[in-house]
Amino acid sequence: MRTRTYRENYRELTELLPYRSSWNWYALLLAVLVSLPFMVPTYVMTYVTLILIAAVGAVGLNIVTGTAGLISLGHAGFLAIGAYTAGIAISTYGWPIPAAILAAGFVSAAASLLVGVPSLRLKGLYLAITTLAFSIIVVHLINQWEGLTGGSSGMPVGRPDFLGIPMRSPASMFYLTLVIAGLTVLGTLNLLRSRVGRAWAALRDYDTAASMMGINLVRYKLLAFAVSSFITGVAGSLMALNIRYLNTDSFELIVSIEAIAMIIVGGLGSVRGAILGATLITVLPDFSRYVLSLFGGALGSIASGNTAEIKGIIYALVIMLFLRFEPDGLAHQWNRTKRFWSDWPYSRK
Amino acid sequence: MSYFLNLVFAGLAVGAIYGMLAMGYAIIYKVSRVVNFAQGEIMMLIGYISYSVALRTDASAPLVMLSVIAGAIGVGLLIERFIVRPMLGQPVFSLVMMTIALAVMIRAVVGLIWGLDPYRFPGSATGAPIELFGVYMQPIQLFLLAVYVALCVGVWAFLRFNIVGIAMRATATDSTVSLLMGVSVSRLYRVAWIISALIAGIAGVLFANIYHIGPDLAHVGIRAFPAAILGGLDSVLGSALGGLIIGVVENLAGGYIASAYKEIAGFVVILVILMIRPYGLFGQKDIERV
Repeated sequence: MRTRTYRENYRELTELLPYRSSWNWYALLLAVLVSLPFMVPTYVMTYVTLILIAAVGAVGLNIVTGTAGLISLGHAGFLAIGAYTAGIAISTYGWPIPAAILAAGFVSAAASLLVGVPSLRLKGLYLAITTLAFSIIVVHLINQWEGLTGGSSGMPVGRPDFLGIPMRSPASMFYLTLVIAGLTVLGTLNLLRSRVGRAWAALRDYDTAASMMGINLVRYKLLAFAVSSFITGVAGSLMALNIRYLNTDSFELIVSIEAIAMIIVGGLGSVRGAILGATLITVLPDFSRYVLSLFGGALGSIASGNTAEIKGIIYALVIMLFLRFEPDGLAHQWNRTKRFWSDWPYSRK
Repeated sequence: MSYFLNLVFAGLAVGAIYGMLAMGYAIIYKVSRVVNFAQGEIMMLIGYISYSVALRTDASAPLVMLSVIAGAIGVGLLIERFIVRPMLGQPVFSLVMMTIALAVMIRAVVGLIWGLDPYRFPGSATGAPIELFGVYMQPIQLFLLAVYVALCVGVWAFLRFNIVGIAMRATATDSTVSLLMGVSVSRLYRVAWIISALIAGIAGVLFANIYHIGPDLAHVGIRAFPAAILGGLDSVLGSALGGLIIGVVENLAGGYIASAYKEIAGFVVILVILMIRPYGLFGQKDIERV
């Protein structure tokens, strides 16, 4: 019987994966994802693309809210900045896709300083409302700045070829998203097990104590915001490339709440949780609409006529039930299930 | 000059609504250190309930008032029982997320029941405007300001003289000691949620009478955040005053800069204010013991 608690040295404590065999499983998962376009119909693949984009965004938010404990209700703003930066870079200036994605990340990270600086003095809910104000201002400015962003009528985004590879097909979009999602997850996991990640966890748990341990609060809080919004901006650029048409309707307040729902459902502070949460929250509205339509009759017609409302009710119920009954989220559930089977038949219920 | 005065008066009228909502935020924050993100939605829900009552009773004023009170008590009790009480002892963040989820829920349910089109509130009298020093005032706006002042005085007196109000202030200062003194915290929460729902409901009905009733009422709740922040989340009367300031600033920005900036003026103000005074204008500074 194996146990997770016995570590012999410090290096084992910070290893990326606890066992050699885990690498095989993740290699298998990667192989399945890579061969997905050949195995499933196109609509499933575009669905997985959506999930991966959501996962990138959730991992980004998870850094600042889950790991560093700075509540952000304004990530729709960073998402919008990233999406519009990529859109403008590609459509107006004809940049190649990777350059546009990087630009989206860096512009978002720069904008995050606007929120990061007040975060040095604000605590808890005051900060949450400041980030909320930030995202409202961003969306409003995008709507006003018509010359640059197309205003409320929106803005088309092309998918230019990259190094002779055509990017127009859903499969190429899927691979692009997969590569970026993979890099994001790997980068975040490595960051979280380094000094930086431990510093963030320390300032989340007790910032006064953390600063006494020699952690520079100013630097690490700003860094948390910058890294988080870099990733969120990248997610925004993927969103722009995926929808190929930008409009501020995609960045309303409900998007920030959706993102918060993802990391709560998944489990705050856990990368795996963020991915699981993103999957669940992305799939749930369509899945439940499908289930409701099975009932047919009045219930089915309510479900098909009021998609936005059904979506709202489901998000609300999921957030409430998870907060009430499983505040540690799916990541905790995952670990429990895993322990149950690895200890079997000696596992306790 | 009369352009300026008209803007200021219109700002005061909108600001009174913001102020009422902000008072609701502050009352709940005072007792439980939680920001109720569903305040605007509660206002919308009670507004819609009284709209339905008004529709069926030919807009009889006493019945509408009764429906606001009954609605507020019902909503307050339900929220306390099913949202707040199960979350006692959990981190504050969890309860705040619960109120965000509640906001999404109420918005969706209201959309399902009443649809997404705005309606005119039945019996909303648009009397002849009164002109005073070149300022045009609707009678209902003056009534709104009178209600606002009455609510401010009422809440002040409640917190100052009523035993429940005093218990509230005691809990705000130190919840453990007030628990030891025999204050029933769950009863306090119930009272706080009912009062704040009541104030929100009154604001909702007045708003619906001046403008219309529709799903955008929920946005008023978000635009009242700057008011609560400006006044300091734990200062009830400060928040009420913050509402007036934000209302006037919004209207002046809309009148003199560009009408598009009316919607975000309040948010810009709090971004600036919070950099200078992180606990609002009248809020209590947190002094931490290490």
